[in-house]
Amino acid sequence: MRRILLIALKDLLLILRDRSMVLMILIGPFLLTFGMGLISGRMGGGVSQSSGPRDIPVAIVNQDGQMLGNALVNVLSSPELAVLLEPVLVPDVETAKQQVEADQVAAAIIVPTGFTQSLIPLAKEWQAWSPSSSSNLAIQIYANPGRPNSVAIIESIVREFLFRVEKGRVLGLTAITPLVTAGAIQSTQAEEIGRALGESLARANDAKDLMQVAITEGGLTPSHEVDVMSSLAPGMALLFLMFTATYGARSLLVERRQQTLQRLMMTPTSPIQILLGKGFGVYLSGVLQQLVLIGTSTWLFSLNWGDALGVIALILCAALAAVGWGLLVAAWARTPAQVASAGSALMLLFGLLGGSFVDLSSMPSPVYVLSRVTPNAWGLDGYAILAGGGSLSQIGQPLLALILMGVSLIVFAGVILMHSRHFTQA
Amino acid sequence: MHSIFAIIRKDVLLRFASPSEWLFFLFLPVLFTFVLGMGNYGSDGKVTLLVVDEASNEISARVIKALERTPGLRPEVVSRAETEARFGTRKVDFWLYLPADLSEKHLRRGEQIQLLLYQQPNNLRAVAVQRAIQAAIGGESLPFEAAHQAVTLAEQYSVLRTEEERQQYFNEAFQSAHVLWTQAPQRLEVIRPSRAPVYDPRAHASAGQLITWVFIPLFGISALLAYERNTGTLARIMTTPTSQAIFLAGTIGGQVLIALVQMGLLVGFGVFALRLPWMRDPWTLAVLLFTSALAAGAIGVFMGTLVKNEAQANNLSILMGMVMALLGGCWYPLEFFPDAVKMIVHVLPTTWALEGMVNYLMRGKSLEDLFPQLAALTGFAVLFFVLGLWRLWREQSV
Amino acid sequence: MIRVHNLTKRFGHLTAVDNLTFEVKEGEIFSLLGPNGAGKTTTISILATLLLPTSGEAWIDGYSILQRPLEVRRLIGVVPQEIALYQDLSGYENLWFWGQMYGLRGAELRQRIRMTLEQVGLDEKAHHKVRTYSGGMKRRLNLAAGLLHHPRVLFLDEPTVGIDPQSRRAILDFVKSLNREGMTILYTTHYMEEAQELSHRVGIMDHGRLIALGTQSALLQQAGEHDTLVLSFENDLKPQPPLEVLRHLSEVINVSREGDRIKVLTTAPEEVLPHLVTVCLEHGVRIRSVEVIEPNLETVFLKLTGRALRD
Repeated sequence: MRRILLIALKDLLLILRDRSMVLMILIGPFLLTFGMGLISGRMGGGVSQSSGPRDIPVAIVNQDGQMLGNALVNVLSSPELAVLLEPVLVPDVETAKQQVEADQVAAAIIVPTGFTQSLIPLAKEWQAWSPSSSSNLAIQIYANPGRPNSVAIIESIVREFLFRVEKGRVLGLTAITPLVTAGAIQSTQAEEIGRALGESLARANDAKDLMQVAITEGGLTPSHEVDVMSSLAPGMALLFLMFTATYGARSLLVERRQQTLQRLMMTPTSPIQILLGKGFGVYLSGVLQQLVLIGTSTWLFSLNWGDALGVIALILCAALAAVGWGLLVAAWARTPAQVASAGSALMLLFGLLGGSFVDLSSMPSPVYVLSRVTPNAWGLDGYAILAGGGSLSQIGQPLLALILMGVSLIVFAGVILMHSRHFTQA
Repeated sequence: MHSIFAIIRKDVLLRFASPSEWLFFLFLPVLFTFVLGMGNYGSDGKVTLLVVDEASNEISARVIKALERTPGLRPEVVSRAETEARFGTRKVDFWLYLPADLSEKHLRRGEQIQLLLYQQPNNLRAVAVQRAIQAAIGGESLPFEAAHQAVTLAEQYSVLRTEEERQQYFNEAFQSAHVLWTQAPQRLEVIRPSRAPVYDPRAHASAGQLITWVFIPLFGISALLAYERNTGTLARIMTTPTSQAIFLAGTIGGQVLIALVQMGLLVGFGVFALRLPWMRDPWTLAVLLFTSALAAGAIGVFMGTLVKNEAQANNLSILMGMVMALLGGCWYPLEFFPDAVKMIVHVLPTTWALEGMVNYLMRGKSLEDLFPQLAALTGFAVLFFVLGLWRLWREQSV
Repeated sequence: MIRVHNLTKRFGHLTAVDNLTFEVKEGEIFSLLGPNGAGKTTTISILATLLLPTSGEAWIDGYSILQRPLEVRRLIGVVPQEIALYQDLSGYENLWFWGQMYGLRGAELRQRIRMTLEQVGLDEKAHHKVRTYSGGMKRRLNLAAGLLHHPRVLFLDEPTVGIDPQSRRAILDFVKSLNREGMTILYTTHYMEEAQELSHRVGIMDHGRLIALGTQSALLQQAGEHDTLVLSFENDLKPQPPLEVLRHLSEVINVSREGDRIKVLTTAPEEVLPHLVTVCLEHGVRIRSVEVIEPNLETVFLKLTGRALRD
C-alpha cells in the first residue's frame, strides 16, 4: 500500500511540475468557463442569472398608428418583456430594414397602414358580414438571418399578440353578428360592444382563456436560485478531466521510454503495485483538478453547485471513470505521442457526445445511448440534479454508472497491461 | 523559392507522419459539424418542448398537432417518467403537461383547464415560449369560448328562451367561430433579406466548426517551431543560406496549404452532406478561406517564438483554439453575446472569420461587402508575421 | 553470490543471450566485456528480474530469479545504462523516491541520501531539478539511486557511457571503494581499460556468448604472448592488398583495420615489422607511425573474434 501511495504521489508531483500540463488541466477549463460566463452575460451584467438571448434589439415601424398598432407597441414595451426585448420605434420601413441589414437589430416589425381597420369592422360593415370579408393585411417581421433565436422569440410574441387580436375578432363576430341579424342590437351599438370585447381580449394572459398555460418552475424550491454557469462550469470541468486522465496515463509509456518503469520493476515492487500506483496518481490528479476548478468557480462566480456531499461523491466517481478510460488508452497505445493525440481526440469526442459543449437532448436516441459511455454525460446529469437542489441520495444512478464504468475499465485495462510484454518486460 | 518549397514539403511530411493526424484533420471536424448541426444547437431558433399527454384524446391530439405547426417550437411527446428524468438533469428547459381533464366535456361546460408549462428557473425565454404555446393551442378552445360568449351575450338581450334554443344557439356559434378561425388569413409575414440564400441551422455549425478545426492546427505551427528548435534543426536551417523571412514564409505556407485542403474537404462536406450553398461564389469563398488561414498561421508562428517546448505548444494551441473559437462565436451564435462582449471579441481573428463566413453563407454578401472582415484578417496575418519575424531575429541577435 | 546456468534469451529469431554460464563470487568485481549488442544489457536485465529468460536459470545468493524475484530484488541494486531518473524532480527527491521503493524510511533514508550525494559529489546540487544537470552529474545520480539501499549485489550497466573523463574517474573510484566495503559487483562495459582497471575476473561476450572467462592474467595467457602493432598512414588506406598480403605473413596471427589504422597481432613484432614496411612501400602506402602494444584484454578479444572491441 505504501509503495502504491508513493508512486501515486510522485506522479502527482510530476504532473504539477509540468507547466504545459498545468496550463491544460487547470488554466484551460478555467479560461473556457470564464469565456462562457462572458458570452452568457454572466460577467458583463453582474447580477443576471439567465440563459438565452436578452435585450434583443427590435425596430418597430408603426404605420398603422391605430388601436392595434399601438397595442402591439405597448405589448412589446411592456415591463414583462423589458429584460427580453429592447424595442425602438423607427419612422420608416427603409431605415428599419437597413438596421436589420447592418445587424443593429434582430428584426424589424412593420405594422402596415390600416391594419386596425382591416380587423375591426366599422359600424356599417356589421350587416354585410361574411367570413371572407376580412381583409388580409399582414404585419411583417423583417428578420435578421444571423440571429435566428432572437427572431424566433420576437415571432412568438407577435404571433401571440395576433392570436389575441384574431380571438377578439372571432369572439366579437360570433357573439354580435347573430344579435345584429336578429335585430336585437343596432349596428352602432355593435361597434362599441365589439371594441370593448376586443380590447379586453388583446391583453396577454387573459384569465378567461379556457385553456390556460401556466408557468411553473418545476422541481425547485423558489429560494433555490439556479445559475446558467452552473451547467457550463461542470461541462468544462468534466471535459478537461478526460484530458487529465488520458494525459496522466501517458506517463506509463513515458516512464517506459525513459527507463524508470524498468528501474521500478527491478525494485521489490510488483507490477500490480506499480499499475495501481500509477492509476491512483492519475486519479488523485483528476480529483485535485476537479476540486480546484469547483473551488475557484464557486469563489469567483459565486456558483452554487448544490449539496456538498453529493458534489464530492461525483468528483470521486467521475475521476474513477475517467481514469478507466485513460488506462484503456494507455494499454492500447505504444508510444506517448499516440496517447497524447488519442487522449486529445477522446477528450473532445467525449465532450461532444457527453454534452460538455452543447445539449444533445434533441438528438436521435442512438446518440443519446452513445453518450452514456462517456463519464461526461453521467457527471453532467449528476451536477444538474445537484444544482437543481437534489441531494446525494438523488444522484445514485449517475454515481453507480460512473463507478461501474471506472471499475470495469480499470480491470479490463489492467488485464491487458499485465499481459502486455510492453509493460511487464522491458 | 526553391527553399520555400523544400520547407513546405518537409512540413507536410512531418505533419502526416502520424496517422492520428487524420483524426484531427478530417474525422473530428466532420463529426462535430454533423452533430452540432443536427443537435439543438440553438441556431435554428427552435425550442425543444417535451409534452406529457395524460388526456390522450382527440382534443389533446389536436393540441399537439397545433404545437407541431408552431414555428419556434419542437414538441416531442414522451412519457412522464422520461420527461422528469430529462428535465431533472436539465437536458430540456421546458415541458408541457396536458392534464387528464383536457377534454371536450370540460370545454363544453366552460370549465377552465390549466396546462402546466414547467421551465428551468431564470429562463428569460419562458415568456416567449408560453406565448407561443398559448397562441398555438388557443385555436382549439376558441370556438368553445366564442360559443359561451355568444350565449352569455344573447342571454343579456333575452334572445334565448328555452334550453333547446340555448343549446342550438351554442352549437351555431361554435360552428361559425370554428369557420371564422380556420378561415382567418395569415396576418404575419416573416421576411428574410432577399439576398440571403440560406436559413439553415447547420450553416452556422458548418462555418463555426470549420474555423475551430482549421485554426487549432494552424496555431499548432508553434509546436512545429518548438520541435525544430529542440531537435536543433531550426538552428541548422538558420545556418543555411535561408533568411528568417523565407523560413517563416515556408513554414506558414506549408501549413496554410494543408489548411486550405482541409477547408476544402470541410466545405465539401457542407455542400454534399448538409446541402449548404458554400459554392455560391467560389472566388469570394477562396479569398475568405485564404485570409482566415493566413491570419491563423501567422498567429501560430508568433506563438511558436514564445513557447519552450512541443508539449507546451500543443496544449497552448488546442487551448487558444478552443477559447478563441468559443469567444469568436463559433460554438454559440454571436447573437447570444451581450452587446459589450460582442464588441470586445472583435479583437480575435475568429470573430472576423466567422462574421465573414456567416455573412457570406447566411446573408449572401459579396466580396466587396466582406471587405472589413477580409481587411481585418489580412491585418492579423501581417501583424503576427512581423511580430514572429521580430522575435526570431531577436532570438538570433541575443 | 551470482550463479548463472545455461541462460538463453531469444527475441524472435534473434538470440541475444546464448547459453550463458558463469559464477560471481561474493566480494568480487566481475566485468562482462564486449562490443555493443553482445548481450550484456540483456544478461543484466534477466539477472535483475526485469526480463524472463527463454531457458536456463540463475540464482542470486541462492535465490532463483525465476521463483523468488522479490527476494532477489531486495538483494540487488541496479544502475541502468539509461539515465532512468525523473527529470522534473530534484536529485534529492529522486533519491528519496527510489530509497522508499527499496523500503528505506525516515532518518535512516535522509542520512543515506546525504551521504550518497556527498559521495558522488552532488550535495551542492541536491535541490536542483535533474533536468538542469550536466551529463556527468546525471550519470553520478543514476549511480547513486542504484546503491542508496546498500545492496549486496550491484549491477552496473555501462555506467560511464558518454561522460567527461573527470566524472568517469569519479565513478570508477567510487565503484572500487564500494567493492572494498564488500559489495559484489557485476560490471558491463565495452571499454577495455575499465574492465582491466576494475575487475578481479572478466567474461568476454560476443554475439550473446561468453567466449572467454577468467582472471586478467589467465585471459592474457590464453591470448598467448602476442603483441599488437598499430600502424597509421600518411595517405588514404584505399588499396586493400596490404591487408590481405599482411595476413599471409608468417608470425602474423590476425590483421584488423580500425578507422585509418591497421592492427596487426603477432608473436614476433621485431620480425614482422620489416616485412610490413616493405609491403606497404610496394603498395605505395606511406607509414606515418608504428606503435607496439603489449597484450591486453583488447588483444584477447581481437584474437578470439578477429574484430576490434569497438568495431
